[in-house]
Order: sequence, then structure tokens, then C-alpha cells
Amino acid sequence: MSVLQQRPDVSEFRRRFKWLALFQLLCFGVLVGRLFQLQLLQAEDYQAIARENIVRRVTLATTRGIIRDRFGRPLSASRPAYNLYVTPKRVTKVDKEGQPPVMTPVWARLVSYLNLGDEEVGRLQQKLVAIVAEGGKRKDQQILLKEDISFDDVAVLSTHAHELPGVDVVDVSVRFYPQKSVGAHALGYMREVDPEMLAEMRRQGYVEGDHVGASGIERSWESYLRGTRGWEKVIVDARGARRPMRPGIIDGPSRVDPIPGRDLRLSLDADVQAAIERAMRGELAGGAALVDVESGQILGLVSKPGYDPNQLSGGSGKGVVRDAFQRMFSDQLKPALDKTVSGAYPPGSTWKPFTALAALEKGLIDKNVRTVCRGYLTFGKRVFKCTQAHGSCDLHRAIAASCNVYFYQLVASYGVTMDMIAEVGGRYGFGRRTGIGINAEASGRMPTKAWMTLRNKGQFRQGYTVNAAIGQGATTVTVLQLALAYAALANGGTLYQPQIVQAVETAGGDVVQEFQPRVRRKTNLDPKFRTLVHQALLSGVTEIGGTAYQTWRQLGVDVAGKTGTAQVSHKATGSADLERVYYFNRDHAWFAGYAPTTKPEVAVVVLIEHGGGGSKHAAPVALNIVRAWEDLKRKRAGERPRELEVTP
Amino acid sequence: MMRGGLAGRPRDHFDWPLFIAAALIAVLGVVNLYSATSVYIGTSRAALAEIYINQVYWLAIGGVAGAVVAAIDYRHIERFAYVIYTLGVFSLIVVAVLARDVRGAARWINIGSFSFQPSEFMKLCLVIAVAKYLHDDPRSEPRTLKDMAIPAVLVAVPAALVVRQPDLGTAIIMTLVFGAIVVLTRMRRSSVLIFVVSMAVILPVAWQYALPYQRARLTSFLNPTADLSGIGYHAHHARVAIGNGGLLGQGFTQGMQNQYRFLPDQYSDFPFPVFAEEWGFVGSMVLIGLYAFLVLWSVRIAARARDRFGAVLAVGCGAVIFWHAIFNLGMAAGVLPVVGITLPLFSYGGSSVTTVLLAVALLMNVSMRRNATFSPVERL
Repeated sequence: MSVLQQRPDVSEFRRRFKWLALFQLLCFGVLVGRLFQLQLLQAEDYQAIARENIVRRVTLATTRGIIRDRFGRPLSASRPAYNLYVTPKRVTKVDKEGQPPVMTPVWARLVSYLNLGDEEVGRLQQKLVAIVAEGGKRKDQQILLKEDISFDDVAVLSTHAHELPGVDVVDVSVRFYPQKSVGAHALGYMREVDPEMLAEMRRQGYVEGDHVGASGIERSWESYLRGTRGWEKVIVDARGARRPMRPGIIDGPSRVDPIPGRDLRLSLDADVQAAIERAMRGELAGGAALVDVESGQILGLVSKPGYDPNQLSGGSGKGVVRDAFQRMFSDQLKPALDKTVSGAYPPGSTWKPFTALAALEKGLIDKNVRTVCRGYLTFGKRVFKCTQAHGSCDLHRAIAASCNVYFYQLVASYGVTMDMIAEVGGRYGFGRRTGIGINAEASGRMPTKAWMTLRNKGQFRQGYTVNAAIGQGATTVTVLQLALAYAALANGGTLYQPQIVQAVETAGGDVVQEFQPRVRRKTNLDPKFRTLVHQALLSGVTEIGGTAYQTWRQLGVDVAGKTGTAQVSHKATGSADLERVYYFNRDHAWFAGYAPTTKPEVAVVVLIEHGGGGSKHAAPVALNIVRAWEDLKRKRAGERPRELEVTP
Repeated sequence: MMRGGLAGRPRDHFDWPLFIAAALIAVLGVVNLYSATSVYIGTSRAALAEIYINQVYWLAIGGVAGAVVAAIDYRHIERFAYVIYTLGVFSLIVVAVLARDVRGAARWINIGSFSFQPSEFMKLCLVIAVAKYLHDDPRSEPRTLKDMAIPAVLVAVPAALVVRQPDLGTAIIMTLVFGAIVVLTRMRRSSVLIFVVSMAVILPVAWQYALPYQRARLTSFLNPTADLSGIGYHAHHARVAIGNGGLLGQGFTQGMQNQYRFLPDQYSDFPFPVFAEEWGFVGSMVLIGLYAFLVLWSVRIAARARDRFGAVLAVGCGAVIFWHAIFNLGMAAGVLPVVGITLPLFSYGGSSVTTVLLAVALLMNVSMRRNATFSPVERL
């Protein structure tokens, strides 16, 4: 071959090489231009993105404030709990394409370390396999396997952590109520925020999985208790693994410490709470309050039936929470309702002192006015009954022995009107919320003539007033209202606002804010009348013929008070369960009083729902509460607790 | 001139610039691979940390194979061109039949623990076959589309097999390499016009038949910030790594995007972002300069080739390197969609490295046997 022969061959290409080269140069030129843009012009932007990529802001948990009783004993605190998570993909494997995934030896080890039951293992295994088979993102995410595992399990798992890849133990804080159900309604419980609440609450910094006070003090004082989260910036890689800090990555602060929630010091006395629970243990449902008469501070506030806020607050897992809620809301005795604050009941005979005050203040009667009780009074076409034929009664005996006819006569013969009763009731705080500030407070009902007229299609009958005189009919009160009203009778006419939170404190124990007693109003109680009422209340307990005398004889406590038996409107008669019909048609039993009698310190009110007669069912509970309170007082004063003495 | 007379010549003509450019890229490639895989998690390096050693072995194997290929006069290769081509197509068919699924695409043939990817070598087989056809078909008149039908079929068969794997990237490279060769030939203007118009019709239709993931990549390229955690993840983090490099880079093994594992496939499809992040704009310019030199030098070799086969072979081999480099760098820099195309001598992989070294060897072969009577510099 010669060179000359080849030239025509190649000549077809010859002029095109330079176009090819030019095109290639152009392509490289575009690349260079692009790199110039990325690496020189936009370098700062991308450097910022690269830094942001590896910086994560992790939130630092805060601790919820502790709720303590008046002596500093914790009623509601937080404890660490450990939740077990597994990553489904890491404990399963796919042996053959198209076959369902099977569990790895890691899973078998985990099961044996935790001593799980076969049934539970089967259920969990099914769940994990389903998640992996589904194939979505969830198989790579941690799945909550078991909540609140024991310390022993935590220890075993952390010892063997290296042979359990994909298994993680995460510690969380769980609300803990060391006294269990004692004071549950006042304290309240916690619940996990649900998506609907979150829509509102996200602005205040709540996130998924947070717990928030659901009732009681936990709810009302949420903003004080919850504290503020902190955050810290850390370095992570693309898969979220923590890496050591690099200088120059984070501008500005890298950490804001969390602020723990405020602690609350309550006026409640854990011992009194426990004593009330003990005194009420024989009763199914009801409420009791013990209030300091000179300040309105609540020493004890118990509603029955109770519940264990530990179960509701999520410590033992979501299943337990669900079951507990189901139990709580299917129970006909309504354990969720705070019967001291949210329930309004007719006061029955405990109302009589206030009717008496209405008559005395208007000068319609004096202490010597007497009526004769034959066991009933016919008024208009109706017959109004009394508990027995009391014979001749003055005011003192009418209150002590609880004669209804005397009070019927105040309306029928002495001119006591509905509005007079309502006026006195209003002064003692009835018909209005007390302002305790926890739970959904009922205002009760203090009917006036106008109100009754409206309610009854424009007709007002004097019979309504006759009923109202003995605390029946439309009048309803709450346990707390009655306790504060009796406290006002006891202290000579000062109606206090109830107080349950005494002070807000820092986690370190410094007082941030202390709450002073607040007077709602003066009731203009004439000392003469106070003495009259007081002596009648004292006789009701300590004299033969007094409605609480039989109980007092056994317990012998220094207390003055009034029993009450409030008729209930008949309901639930259609039920086939006769026992239930019987129970729900029984009267409410009341006792309201104060102690000690010479210089009253506490007012006590007990309501036994459908308990029957006040003297038989409420008085023993109330007197036991006062007795326990007396014992505590002695003990704290350093005196020996007295021996049980039986008065003849 | 007698063939015997050339016996002593090739050594004199040893193409040092070609060799040095390729060697420099290979060295940078291994160094970069070391850095790309030395991601520290705790105190231990990542699982792939030792693959740069393998890359050295592949370079050695490819180097030896290249030396053999460079030593044999390419006219012997010309003689067996269609045999080589047939073998290549056959191996692609074997892959299609075996279809062992490796990462969603059947591209490998496993022989024991050793697996190779016929589609890589096929690019060179293709170039050889087309070179042979054009060598045997000299024209003085402009060609028509019909004249190019046979070489087009030569390309279409393996491209179709590769698309079915599915490996759209390699098929695109094959087509574009063929395109580069076609540019060399003199075509009739009307033929060019017909071709352009028909492409304008065919491409939208082809789009309808593209696989969903292939479409998604293209649409995500057109709208790069739409889905950063999904389909746009690779492109986004590659771009961030490059930009993070700045002028001078962050230093060897100090690239944040790589060290914090934001670059997936940092050893296979995305070695350039690692390099660009560590060496900055300056380093990138050096690397792009080397590739540009290699590619332009291959055009120079073609221009000085002794015959049509040599010229087409050189242009084809140069085009393989050119398109690989442009596509890989382009997708890393976000000017081209993400299609899995390797960066010559930078990406890890035996088939890829060997193929590129064989391409360089073929260039060397053509260069060493050039016709000294032409003055190439004047021509370019």
C-alpha cells in the first residue's frame, strides 16, 4: 500500500475533524461554565446547604412540675419509663423472592431475653411481618413494640445490646401518681395529645406524642407545669447517625437549655385525703370536702368512685389506657365525674339553716316561735310530709331534729318567700361557681320566683317555696358550695373563694407566687342568729333527738352539723335489673358541718349518692373524717393520739 | 512501504501524551476512589473501603490487555472486525437469557465470583464493526440515509439488547458514538434534513414507551428541586457537593457531603462530586482539562490515521471516552439527567476500567501506526 493510495480514502473525513473537535470543545466549555457557576458564583449557597445537611436540631426534653400536698409530699410526679422499639426490616429477612419474610435469630434472642408469652410473640411477629411485607417506609422506622418495660428487662437488653441490632430502648418520662387514686379527681390525669388538639396546640409548642393535662389541676395548671423544651444542634450524617462536632459548622448558639415546669404546692393534705377515702370506703359513690373555715383552703376533696390516674396517664401502655377509659366511661356510677365540683344535687335538710336565716333576718320569726308537727302538713291540695311527728317544735328543735313541718309553716304561715330564700342562698354563694378553677364546675341552682314562673309555663305555686324551704325542688348545690357556705356559718359570715393551689414553686423549691386567701363576700351574718343556728347544729349532733346523735354517741367527735336526705327524681324505673332500680331510686345522703364547735377550724361536707338517709349513711362518714382530722392535728401537735372513748 | 519495514517503528511512535494523559486520569481516579470510600463511621472505615485496591488490580489487568491490543497491528483487528462484533452481540444475548437480576438491571455475566458486563465491551465492538464497514465502503459522493442503513443496523441491534436490560444510558452512548462517526462522513443535505424531521417525530413517541423510572429521571432533571428526598436526591446532593468545593476545595478526604454519606454511589456513578468537593474548581479544571486533552488528542490521532479504518476507530474510541465523560460530569453538575453512566477511569468497576483502557490501547495502536508523511498538525 502506498501513501498516495490512501489519501482519497481519508479525504471524505478530512474537513470534518475540526468540526468534531470544535463540538467536543464546546461541550467541555459548557461544563466548565457550569462548574464556574456552581463552584465560584454559587459556592456560598451550596456551602450553606452542605452545612445545614449535617446539622440537626434535637429537642431536649423538659420535666413536668411536681404537684405536692401542703406538707411537700408529692402527689403527682414524673418517673422515667423505658419503651422498646424494633426496626422491622432488621429483625426479618426474606429467604426467597415472593415468600413472606421470616424472623431472624435477633428476634428469637429478643423474645427469650424478655420471656414473652407465645401468644404475644405470635401477635408481635405477625405485626412486624405485615409491616415488612407491605414494603413501605415503615419497615425502616422504629416500631413501638412494648411500653414501660421493667428495669430488669432494660438491664438484660443493655447487657446484650451488641447482639440485638435493630432493637432499641428509648427512655421517656411518664406521669406518676404515688398515692394512686387518692385525690385523683382534684389532681386529674394526663393524656396524649390527639391530632385535633394538636392543630390548636402546635402554636404553643406541642408535638405528636406529647402528654397534656386532661383534667383537674393537671389540666388547669398545664401552662405552669409543662415547662419549656430546650434544643441542641448536633452533627449527623445522611443516615441520622451522630458524628462528632466540627468547628465552624454552627453559627449562633448551639444549645438552649430546657426549663423545667413549675412545681405546685397544694392546700390538700395527703393524710386527710387518705382519711376521707378510708371513711368512704364502704360507699359506692359520692363526694366529700374538708375546708379550712378561715381561709377557704381545701384540705381534702374526694369523689367516688375514683380511678387510678397512673393507668390513664399512659405509663403502662396504650392498651391499659384504652381499657381504663372504657371502664371509666361505661361505669354507671360515673367515676370520671368530679362529684365535689361538677355534680349538683338537691341539698335536702342541710339547707334548713339558710331558710331559717331568711326568716330570722326578715324578722318574720324569733327563736321562740313554735309550730306543731303531726308528721305532715296539708297545703293547698298537696300533703307535704315530715319524717316523723315531732310535736311542738321551736327553731332549735326544728333544725336539730330536722322537722320539715316547721319550715313548711315558715312559708305557709310566716310569709317566707322564694326570693327571700334565694337572696340568702345567693349571699352564701349558691347558684354561682365557687371559682376553684379545676374541672368543669357546676354552678348549682338557686331558683327565684321569676325563674320558677318561667320554668312552669307562667304559673307559680306557693308549693314550690314550701319545697324550697327544705332544700328540695329545683334547688341544687355542689358539695364544695355547701362546704364553703357552712364554713361561712362557722366563721361568722365570711364566704371564701376555695383555694386548692397554695403556691407556685421552682424546681429548686423557691416560691414564685404564693396565693393569699380570697374573700368572696361578707354574708352579713348577725352574731345573734349565728349563735342560734350554731346551737341548733350542735344539738343536732350531740343531743338526744339530734339526727346525728346515734353516730356521735359512738364516735364522740367535737362537731356541729346537719344531716340531709335529698329525694331524687325517680328514674331508671324501666330497667329490668331490680337491684339497680332500687339503688338509683334511693335518696342522696348528706352531712354538712364544722369542727371544732368552740372555735371552728374546718367545715366538712359529705354526700353519699343514693346512700339513703343522711343520719345513717352520711353522718358516720363525716364524723369519721372529722375524727381522723382531729387525730392528725393532735399528732402534729406532738400529742398522743387519744384512745377510742365511748360515750355512754 | 513494506509491513516488515514498520517493525521497528511503532516503538518510536509511542504516543507519550496519550499515555501520560490516561495514566494521570487513572492515578487521580484511584486516589479519588480511596477518598470516596474512606468514610469513617466511629473509628472503622466503611465496608467498601478496600475497593480502591481492586481498582488498581483492574487497572493492571486492563493495562496488560491494552498492551497486547496496542501491540497487534489494528489491521488484524480489522480483519476480524465482524467476528468480534458477533461475539459481543452473542454475549449480550447470553445476558438477556441469563437475566440474573443485579440491582434492578440484568447487565452482568457471572463466571464464578468474577462478573463482567458485556454492554461495556460492546461499545468498542460496535466501533470496530462500523469502522470496518466504512473502511470497506469509500465514497466520493455525499451519502444518503440509505447508505448508512447497514451501520445503523449494526448499532441498533446491540442498542436494542441493552435497552431491554434495561440500561438506557449505555444505549444512548452507543447511539451518540455512532453519531460522532456519522459526523465524519459526508452526508447529503436533504438526508440530514429528513433525519432531523423524523427524529422530531420519533422521540416523543419513544417517550411514551420509556419506563416509568427513566421518565421520572428526565422529568426530575427538568425540575430538579421538586423531590429532593426521592428521585432528585442524587442530583441534588451531587450538586451541593460540587458547590461546596468552592475554589480550592475542602482537602483530600475532607469532603463533607461524602464524609457524611450524602453521596450515594460515590464510587460508581458519582465520583466526580467527591473529587470536586475535595479539590474545588481548580481540581475540577485539571480533571476536565485531562479529559478534554484525551478526547481532542484522539481526534488528532484519527486525523493522522493511516487509513479509513484507523480514522473511524480513533474517532469512535475517542467518542466513547468523550460521551462517558460529558454525560457523567454533566449529570453530576446538573446539566444532564441522571442516567447511570460511568466516568472513565474514575468510576469503580472492572468492565468499565478495562473497556476504557482498551479504547486507549486502540487509540495508541492507531497512533503508533500512523502515516508519517502527513503533517497532522497542519491538518487539525
